[in-house]
Formats: sequence, structure tokens, C-alpha cells
Amino acid sequence: MANTISGDADFIKGINNSLFTGVVHSTFNRTFNIKCFENEDLYTIACSKLDNGPNTLIIDVDNMKPLEIEVNDPVRVEKNLLYIGEKLTISSDKAYKWESILPTYPSNVVILKRNLMKMKEYINIHGVGGGIKKNVIPQSPFEAEVSNMLEKRTLLLLNELLNNRISSALPHAVSLVGLGPGLTPSGDDFLTGLFTIINMKNSPFYLYRSFCRDILMKAKTLTNDISYMTLKKASIGKVRESIISLVNSLLIENDEDLILSLNKLLNIGSTSGTDIALGIVFGMEANIRAGGKVC
Amino acid sequence: MLVQALIKPNTYFDSVSLMSLSTKANQIEEVDQAIIAMGTEMNKEVMKNVGLLTPEVEGAGASDLIIVVKAATDELCEIAFKKINDLFTKKNSGKKGKNDLKYSTISSAAVSNPEANLAIIAVNGAYAAREAKKALENDLHVMIFSDNVSIEDEIELKKLAHEKGLFMMGPDCGTAIIGNTALCFANAVRKGNIGIVGASGTGSQEVSVRIHEFGYGISQLIGTGGRDLKEEVGGIMMLDGIQALEDDEETKVIVVVSKPPASSVEEKVLAKIKTCKKPVVVWFVGGNEEKITEAGAHFAKMSKEAALKAVLLAGADESKLNKRALNIPLIEEVRTKLTPEQKYVRGLFSGGTLADEAMHAAMEKFDNVYSNIQRNPEYRLKDRYTSQEHTFIDFGDDEYTQGKPHPMIDPSTRLERFIQEAKDPSVGVIVMDFVIGYGAHEDPVGAFLPAIIEAKQQAEQEGRHLEVIGYVLGTDLDPQNYEEQINKLLAADVTHASSMQNAGLLAREFVVKGE
Repeated sequence: MANTISGDADFIKGINNSLFTGVVHSTFNRTFNIKCFENEDLYTIACSKLDNGPNTLIIDVDNMKPLEIEVNDPVRVEKNLLYIGEKLTISSDKAYKWESILPTYPSNVVILKRNLMKMKEYINIHGVGGGIKKNVIPQSPFEAEVSNMLEKRTLLLLNELLNNRISSALPHAVSLVGLGPGLTPSGDDFLTGLFTIINMKNSPFYLYRSFCRDILMKAKTLTNDISYMTLKKASIGKVRESIISLVNSLLIENDEDLILSLNKLLNIGSTSGTDIALGIVFGMEANIRAGGKVC
Repeated sequence: MLVQALIKPNTYFDSVSLMSLSTKANQIEEVDQAIIAMGTEMNKEVMKNVGLLTPEVEGAGASDLIIVVKAATDELCEIAFKKINDLFTKKNSGKKGKNDLKYSTISSAAVSNPEANLAIIAVNGAYAAREAKKALENDLHVMIFSDNVSIEDEIELKKLAHEKGLFMMGPDCGTAIIGNTALCFANAVRKGNIGIVGASGTGSQEVSVRIHEFGYGISQLIGTGGRDLKEEVGGIMMLDGIQALEDDEETKVIVVVSKPPASSVEEKVLAKIKTCKKPVVVWFVGGNEEKITEAGAHFAKMSKEAALKAVLLAGADESKLNKRALNIPLIEEVRTKLTPEQKYVRGLFSGGTLADEAMHAAMEKFDNVYSNIQRNPEYRLKDRYTSQEHTFIDFGDDEYTQGKPHPMIDPSTRLERFIQEAKDPSVGVIVMDFVIGYGAHEDPVGAFLPAIIEAKQQAEQEGRHLEVIGYVLGTDLDPQNYEEQINKLLAADVTHASSMQNAGLLAREFVVKGE
């Protein structure tokens, strides 16, 4: 039996109401994903060192590998316990219920501007190249081409957004979905960061949240299930804890806090953390530059 | 070349594993190019753009993993797929070695590795002092790679280390070799009986590779950080370093490397050397011979000279050493190729002390030597983007690295400047270092090669000869291929200098007129 340390409040609610059946979709060393039959969504069971996220339970296990969980293992709920075949039983009785809540966009952007500048400098030095951040010397023509396409398409997207041409921004945003070699392609990670900022209440682009939904409608066949699920949640402002921490840090004047939050995000995946961070920068800069014009 | 693809349906690897597999796949001998990526529509578009789209790739879905290999023959593609498959198998069954362990705090790392005795701190400068203090409190020697640590923190940390009998190398310490293990930016050199204490990273690297080339080796290379010999810090680490090497049984000769210290610190260091029971060679770039010899030390004006004196003191037979004398006929030949207008040297360096050494060589012959690291404010570059007469630039200086990696990793800023200088008709010689070794760029010469070839051709078309001198700081044991780096320079008609000392001297001699 494993205990849930903390988890997405809605996921725990689903388990407690016995509204959950499914099958293991994919496995990794520190996580595995479940495909839920009731709503077709993916849910994640993650090891203790990982951060909270939408549809995620963090359990008191250091590594999933010894559990030998395999794709297609059946998943069911009985008496508030989540069963992964006969291999693992997860209790959520004492779990801390976590909710993904984004802060409100500030009315005064002086601190935000300052922090964004610091964040960009830090990413320039410490961010991982090969995705949205270009490597000076690409490792292959494939990487060079991916970086060029990402650069061109993000610039086109920004240009349309700043000119308040939301409908013509849409194809540029869609052209980023699935672009990049990784499990969560760089384009998707970037959009996750952008969606996060668009979903901040009172932000100039908040009124255009439907933009995220429109992209999502096109994204279903353009990327893999796991990345799609992240985008789906991000499109309604539901993102993992490390992203929320960084957005919170951007709004206060505390360099140490900012760098710690940023480091935590940059450590995600290969280029994923950097790509998400640059999506956040992009979204914040678009908001600042749009100012009161868009709303 | 043939392109073949393999599709693994509904296969997921986390991003880190996928990128790592991709990098390893591209290192397979038979492979010209390999791509491992999820089969999204956008990735297919990329593959089409780079000419790697196959019918199999076209048919892949967004949740499928695609492996594309470009190789010379069907057979080589097959071998490559087999090797890539092995990589996947290893990935799935591989047990993580001790080197893969990660710790969230220094204390947890120290507890889990009781045999460890040194911590390298490479976090943002704002937090480096705090982490270093934790390490010292855990009785670990410390090397702070980070810069932007306050001098007050440096003094406090060094005093604490001194009290506890520990090393506190840094901050901004990029080079050390401890127990024959190269740390941060350092070269793979033979183990031997010469110890180095260096307040200058590339200066220490240069001396260590010259010693290696002369057939000798290094016992320890202790970095102090560039500010150690400033008045405020008082050379705490330099003094402790000399003492440690004096106490070290394996060390027979000590070499001290630094830019000129503050005079009060110089006095302390020389007083320490005076009492040292082992022979000490001192190379203070631009240093005072009289004071050094008075202290009983062996004075070296330049880096190769320092290494040479050290190996002789360690017992080398001078008659058997190849000292690589300057090529006088080559000097004459280049002088005749340069037009009277081509009067100036432009030195573009990734290593600070390398720039300093070349600059000092030029200053012995010319007055009009400008630099971003000139001590005389009159000859400091007014605008860092514009050279004046003879100009020597350290691209590792803070003003050039704001928001960018060090030029030993990222050549872009220096490369742009090379293109700019090559177009200047008053320039006769461009001299550059190419640092290899641990932490350095995997192919620094290769990164410059197209620009060098084009610049030389362009100059030729304009009726002038552009002389480029390249110096590869490295050894035959370094992870990069040292010989290959030199061969690349030679293939591009670049003059290869065998040491930084020779590079500096050749550069200045090439542009001398009317001697």
C-alpha cells in the first residue's frame, strides 16, 4: 500500500466517489499515467520528489520501477482505494488536497518588468538550448530546423497578438503544436507557458481565453496524448505547482525566491522547463506591451 | 547517402531520456545523421525540410516514436539501427551508477558520501557564498566556480577555510587539478611532481599543458580565484596553497601563477616563498624580476619559460627538451606578405591570461597597445566594439559575457568580432586561442573554420594577405582530439603556434616594419 502525500483535489474527489476506472497508459521511472475510461483524460501517479500538478497524485514512493507496473494494467477504485492491477494500492485518506490556482495579474507592473528582465538574463545563461532557446551550434540539421521554425512561428504569433488580431494569431499558435522531438515537444511546452499567463485574471489577454480553447481543438491530432493532456489543462489555467510558484515569484520583489522558483522549473525535462519559462516570458511581455489596449 | 526509418508505435520516453538517446545515436560511427523524435505532423514537416522524410515517417502518428538514420549504405543503416536499439535496451535495463546520484543539499550529499572531501559550487553568485559556507561547515574543501560573490563574503569564507585547514578555491575559480582529477575548465595532463598555485585560470592551464608537453606532470593544481592577491583578501589561498604544496610529498617544484598582485600581498607571498624549502618558479604576468629573484624564487617572464624552469628544476635534461624555438624564416616570410598599411595585431582571446600574455609581448615592442584588460587607463578600449591600433581582447571579461556563456563554451561573440577585424585593411595579424580540455567547447577550431577560410579568401580578393595565428591550448590526453584541432588550423592555412608564448611573440614580430 502506498499513501498519497498530496494530490489534485478533483482527482482525490473522483477516487472518494468511486468514479474512476481505467488502464495504465504509459510508464516511466518516476511516474506512470492512467487513461480514465469515464472521461478519457490521463491521470498521473508520481513519485515523492515531483511537484503537484493537475490530475496528479504524489505518492510516498521514490521510484516506480520496482513496482513493475506495465502498460494496460487495469485500474479501479474500491472503497476509496485506487488499485493498479494487483501490483499497487494507493490510499488518499491523509492526502493534502492541492489545487492549481494562478495569481491575479498585477495592476502595477514595475516589479514584474524588473523580474522578467532578470528571468530572461538567467535563462540566457542557465536555460537549456535546443528548443525555443537556440543552441549557438545546433547538434544536427534537424535541431537547427526545429529551432528556426520555433523562432519564426513564435515571432509571427507575438506580432499578431500584439496587434490584437487574435484570429490570425491562431494558425501560428497551432503551427507550434507538436514541434520538437521530445515527449512534450518544445512548441507544446512554450504554449503551456503562454496559456498560463493568458489565464491570469485581470491580464490584458484574459478576455481572450477562448484562444487557448481554439488551439486545443486543433491540437488533438497534432501531438501525443501526454502532451495534449498538459495543454488541455493549461488551456483552462491548470498547470503544475512549479509553474505557479514561478508566476507568483514574478510578482514579488525577492530575487532569491525568483531564482529558486526558476531553477526548479528549468530542471524539468530536457528542454521542457526552459521552453515553458520562455512561454511565460513571452506571455508576460505580450501582456505588458498590450497594456490596457486589448481589454 | 541513404535515409531509413523505424517506427515504434505508442512509445513514450521522458524528454531527458529521449534527448540523451538522440545525442548518443548521433555519435554512432556508422551514422551520418540520426533523429529520434515523436512522430507529430510538425516534426514530419521538419524532416521534410531537412530531406529526411520517408514513407514510414509520413505514416507515423503523433504518439509514435520515430527513429531516422542517414548513412552511406543499407548495411550501415542496419548496423546503426541495431546500435540504437541497444541504446534503448540499455536505457531500459540500465542501473544508475553512483555518478548519477543527485542531492538536493550539500549536507545530504556529504552524509551520503562520507569519503567525499571537496564540493564544487556553481550556483548563481547570489547564493554561492551560502552554499560554500555549508560545505566548509561539513569539512569539505571548496571550489567556487560562480562569480558575482562579494569580496566581503570571499574574505569571510577564506578565513573560515584557513581556520579549519581547508581549501577555499575561488570565487570565479575555473581551473584546478586535484589528485589527478581535472575540475571545471582544466586539461588532461600527466601526473607528476610539479605543483601549481594559480590565481589565473587559463594561465595555470597553459603552464600545466607546457609541463605535460615537456614530458613532466602535475601533482596538484590549486586555483585561488582571481581576487585572492588583491589587497583586501591578502592572498589567503595563495599562501595556504604554497604551504600545502610544500607539505605535499609528491610535489618537488612549485609554480606560482598570477597577474601582478597588490604590492602588500606580493610582499607576503614573496616572504612566504623565501622560507619555502622547495624551489619555486614565479610567473606574475608583467611582474618584477628583481623582487622575485631577491626572494630566492625563479623568475619567469612568460608561460613557457615558467614551465621550462619548472621541469628543469624537477630534473629534466635541457638538451633533450624540444623548446620549440620561434620560426625566424616564417617571420621574414610573413613580413614580406603584409602591405605597409597592415600594421596592427588584433588578439581575440577566450582566456584572460592568454590575452594578457600576448598583450605584454606586444607592449614590449609597441606603445599603442589597447585592450579591455589594460591596466593603464589611457590604453583601455574606449568602445568595446571598436578596436584601436594594436588591440587585444579578453572575451571572457564580464562586459562581453553579460547574459552569455563563457567564450570557451560559446564562440559566437568572438566569431562575430573575428569577421569584423578580418575586414579591416590596417590589420596584418589576427591571433586567437582555442582552448580544449574538460568543460571547453567540443570543437573550438571547427566553429571558426568557415569564417577563417572565407575571411582569408576575401582578403586575397582585395589584394592583401591576412595572417591568422591559432594556438590550441590542450594536450593529447584531452577529450577532444588535439591533433585534429591543429590539423584543421593547418588545413585553413592558419599559422599554428605551439604555445601561447610563441603565439604572442609571432604576432608582434609579423607586423614589425623596417627591421
